[in-house]
Amino acid sequence: MSDPTGTLLVVDDSHLNRVRLSYSLNQQGYTVVQAENGRQALTMLRQQPYDLVLLDIMMPEMDGAEMLRRMKADPALRNLPVIVVSARDDMACVVQCIELGAEDYLTKPFDPVLLRARISASLEKKRLRDNEQAYLEQVARVTAAAAAVEAGTFDVSSLDAVARRPDDLGQMARVFQQMARQVFTREQQLRRQVNSLQIEVDQARMRRQAAEITETSYFKDLQQQAQLLRDEMSQEHET
Amino acid sequence: MAKIISIHSFRGGTGKSNIAANITTLLAAAGQRVAVIDTDIQSPGIHNLFNLEGEAITYALNDYLWGRCSIRQAATDVTARLETPVAGQIFLIPSSVKSGEIARILREGCDARVLTAGLRKAISELELDTLVIDTHPGLNEETMLSIAVSHALLIIMRPDRQDYEGTGVTVEVAGALNVPRMALLVNKVPTSFDPDEVRERVTQTFNCEVAAVLPHSDEMMLLASAGIFVQRYPDHPVTAALKQVVATLMV
Repeated sequence: MSDPTGTLLVVDDSHLNRVRLSYSLNQQGYTVVQAENGRQALTMLRQQPYDLVLLDIMMPEMDGAEMLRRMKADPALRNLPVIVVSARDDMACVVQCIELGAEDYLTKPFDPVLLRARISASLEKKRLRDNEQAYLEQVARVTAAAAAVEAGTFDVSSLDAVARRPDDLGQMARVFQQMARQVFTREQQLRRQVNSLQIEVDQARMRRQAAEITETSYFKDLQQQAQLLRDEMSQEHET
Repeated sequence: MAKIISIHSFRGGTGKSNIAANITTLLAAAGQRVAVIDTDIQSPGIHNLFNLEGEAITYALNDYLWGRCSIRQAATDVTARLETPVAGQIFLIPSSVKSGEIARILREGCDARVLTAGLRKAISELELDTLVIDTHPGLNEETMLSIAVSHALLIIMRPDRQDYEGTGVTVEVAGALNVPRMALLVNKVPTSFDPDEVRERVTQTFNCEVAAVLPHSDEMMLLASAGIFVQRYPDHPVTAALKQVVATLMV
């Protein structure tokens, strides 16, 4: 069984139901926030993160079914688990809620032990899903980092969050960062050293010196000799 | 038609003879009949790379130049002296290590025309595919004539201030001699330098293609001219770079 920690939103139009349920959940260690209808609850869900919603169905302004529908249509709320707690015990309502994406369905009056078990199971599933999601996102960061290294745009700090993980992925990110830092330091060092390779050549003086050789009659004679030799070698080859 | 490749540098100590010996070996490994001629008469040395002792040289280039033998007689087949057999054949025309012979060259010089005639005879008499000339550093008459009759010229330089201006003058002079193919090789580059940056900077400065930037190699230094690097280290990056140099020169 997981730790009874997490922030739960209790949505019920009955003040008494909300207070009783909240009190019980508080006693178990959860942080509980209350909303009295679907509209108010949706607004609150968009203002701060929650771990689970306990939702009544029959409410004024916006009922539980409509709120579920809107939550599943919202990518930011789609994966938040919802346990419906309703006085309605007809199968049509249960099926509708499950089809709309409710994690579980309890009818009032509910067994507190059963509710505790279902909350606990839902939160555990959510934690696993969140962990998996975070893992996939961090794997994507590592692969993006590899692409950035190739493109020469890698920022070592982009892997800080992944490197804090205690698992193998975290170790891989730390090694990756360490290697990137070493390569970067080496590159900087090489750049400084290459900059120190100054090829200072006075082009004009160089050409003047070359001209002192190539413009002499001796050199012109040499060029003629060379041409003659080339021609002779070429003729030798042909014969 | 046989090709003549001159391996030259403005200053000594650039690794010119080493590069010449390795290029020769790579060509022979590709099945060619190749001769390498050591025209660095004042400070000969390439024979060491082919494990040919100075005392074992019967006739050298000096003997040919003084009319004491034919160029064919001055050529020694060193193919069997290689560590690894090659498909082709290598002839070495060494310069004499005898101090008297070296002194005579310094005193009297040599006839450049006799030398170039010797190059031509070597090609025909040894039926060569390629003749590699390990030139004398600097720009004297016989070197310029050797360069002038070459199909390709490889100028070796080090990233050293003393090399820059002379290399630049050599490139200009070689350009005036209409050598069909010319490239630079930057040798003994400290490993802390970025080879691509060095290549770009040298290309821009001398307006000449850079065939390779070879890093300073501990293996090459340890070999200390006691063998042919490309044979001892066939999988070394320097060997791969030298193969690329050969491909550049043979285009």
